[in-house]
Amino acid sequence: MSPMFATARPGRAASFRGISLFLAGGLFFSGLARADQALVRAMAESNVNQQYLVESVSLAGVEVAHYRDSRLSPSLRRRLSALVGVPCDMSAISDLADKLRATLHLQEVTQHLTRGSSPDRIRVNFDFIRRDAAFDLSVPRFLYESNQGWTAEVNARVRLHDQSLTAGFGSNGDDLVERFTGFSTRYEDGHLFSDRLKFALGVEGYHDIWNSASRQAVLGEGAQTGVNGLAADASKQFALYRSRRNIAPAVTFELTRELSVSVGASFESMEMEAPAVTGGDASKSANAATGEVNFGYTREGTESEQRWDAKYSVRAATRELGSDYVYRRQEVSLRYKWRHGKHMVADRMTAGTIRGNAPLFERFVLGNSSTLFGWDRYAIDPLGGSRMAHNSVSYGRQMQQTTAEVFYDTGVVGEGDRLGTLRHSVGFGVRQGIFNIAMAFPLFEGRIAAVFMAGMNY
Amino acid sequence: MIAAPAAAALPSAFAIEYNPYRLIPRIEGEYLHVSASNFSFLTGKPLQRLKDGASVAFVAQLIVSDTPNFLIPNARAVARFAVSYDIWEDRFSVTKVAEGIEQKRTIAHQLAPAAENWCLDNLAIHRSDLPVDRPFYLRLDLRVEDPRDQPGVIGDSGISLWNLVEIFSRPIRDHQDRYPSWTAGPLRLEDILKGARG
Repeated sequence: MSPMFATARPGRAASFRGISLFLAGGLFFSGLARADQALVRAMAESNVNQQYLVESVSLAGVEVAHYRDSRLSPSLRRRLSALVGVPCDMSAISDLADKLRATLHLQEVTQHLTRGSSPDRIRVNFDFIRRDAAFDLSVPRFLYESNQGWTAEVNARVRLHDQSLTAGFGSNGDDLVERFTGFSTRYEDGHLFSDRLKFALGVEGYHDIWNSASRQAVLGEGAQTGVNGLAADASKQFALYRSRRNIAPAVTFELTRELSVSVGASFESMEMEAPAVTGGDASKSANAATGEVNFGYTREGTESEQRWDAKYSVRAATRELGSDYVYRRQEVSLRYKWRHGKHMVADRMTAGTIRGNAPLFERFVLGNSSTLFGWDRYAIDPLGGSRMAHNSVSYGRQMQQTTAEVFYDTGVVGEGDRLGTLRHSVGFGVRQGIFNIAMAFPLFEGRIAAVFMAGMNY
Repeated sequence: MIAAPAAAALPSAFAIEYNPYRLIPRIEGEYLHVSASNFSFLTGKPLQRLKDGASVAFVAQLIVSDTPNFLIPNARAVARFAVSYDIWEDRFSVTKVAEGIEQKRTIAHQLAPAAENWCLDNLAIHRSDLPVDRPFYLRLDLRVEDPRDQPGVIGDSGISLWNLVEIFSRPIRDHQDRYPSWTAGPLRLEDILKGARG
């Protein structure tokens, strides 16, 4: 791994260097996008065919009304139909081509205008290009946070028809109690007997680095086990591991365009740091049956857009699956987003619970880039919690290509019946495309400590 | 006696390289304008896209330099043109893309040669930017600018390094969107001015 990934807590000089690098990179990529949009607008506005009325709109040669694809939402269908009977708006056509490309997962969508039935009319056809094979090398996520350092991933993806193979490596100091660095591969078959049935197999391998606060807390838990006679499982639960491997097959049923259900399994084995703590076993397993329900719905109006997302996931590890850990982890998240003109309001609620003794990577963490932003997760709970509830509300206003945002996070993480303190943080940021720069202030009593974060896709 | 100097001149005459893509400079008022031999860019793949009703953007750059390799330009003029094709009239429309509305110019109902020459007429270098006391060279570069390639860099999968490589390697890979460079020189300003006076 590169030195960047090995550095859990970069020094101040490295931090400034990193921030400068990110800002330079962000400006470069944002500049590309901004220059492009200005040119696209200029090209659309100057197109001579805008003088003609649109007679009909078709997708791959089939009129919109007769085009059958469950992925095409009613609102997108309405927008396509709305082109008919009005002057040809090349800007709207270009936007719709981009929307179709994203919705139908196509390589490219091109618009073709042809003469209509009379000299003031034209027909619009969107041609679909889907390459049988494709390769992509991408950076899906990148994040710098002044408390926890870097998180980054690089993926290579090969697709052949409906099958794809993704291989990636990265270092993540954001999502879990520990920083984990390593590789992940994922095979996906998007057409298992039917378009509604998908199969995926993930294989991951990570090396884990523990924060000193977590190590101290584990020692404390171990001492408590000896003193007050807690169950032996409790000490096993907080045992540290130096690496872990996971094999996770899953089948997804797309019941409707908005609703999907996944069932699968996760076979996770850990190489323990101190086998003596876990009864002399050098490795332990956490094998679980997994399930997930996803719902997503968008309602588009002429000037406003609403989006609802809901997700429920469960992981149940049992002895029958050969697991050393026995637990059930459930998590639910709800998200609502409303956009009207240049204004945007969003609310995101997450809650979760673990019953039984789960390994540390399953425990809930607050105080990262997506929850209680600004708080130090190790100050809240260095081992995470078995119960968690969190809510984040944000308001954004678009200013040209940039969106300025303010947000308010509140959350609580606890253990068993003990719920911790309800914590709050506020912050502001600037978002352009997938890039985001934000500053957050955890609300302590009597003092203010600011945390800076810059990244993309978080 | 006469044959000797004629024979000496023969190799040097053949040494002058034939340039099919030649720029012909002229001064109009305070600006240097150019016309070009074999100047035709509304062809091939861009023309096909135009006939499909899409707009196509072209970037043109006229460079003045002391040296024939153009490593250190003395002055340059850059312009972007958005071209579209009227599918009922079979004529081209060209807009010079500019930041300010007053700088934006449009011409419509044109056949291909007229539309191409209009682009060239809208590319000029101020006379004061030309070297007065030494010879100089001119070069005109033209390329298609495809904005559809650029959103591909930032998409659902974050930053696509692959698409980024494709964009930067495109002028080498995609021969259909490449045009030759039109050149002229060495030239002297006084000679161009004499040509203007006749």
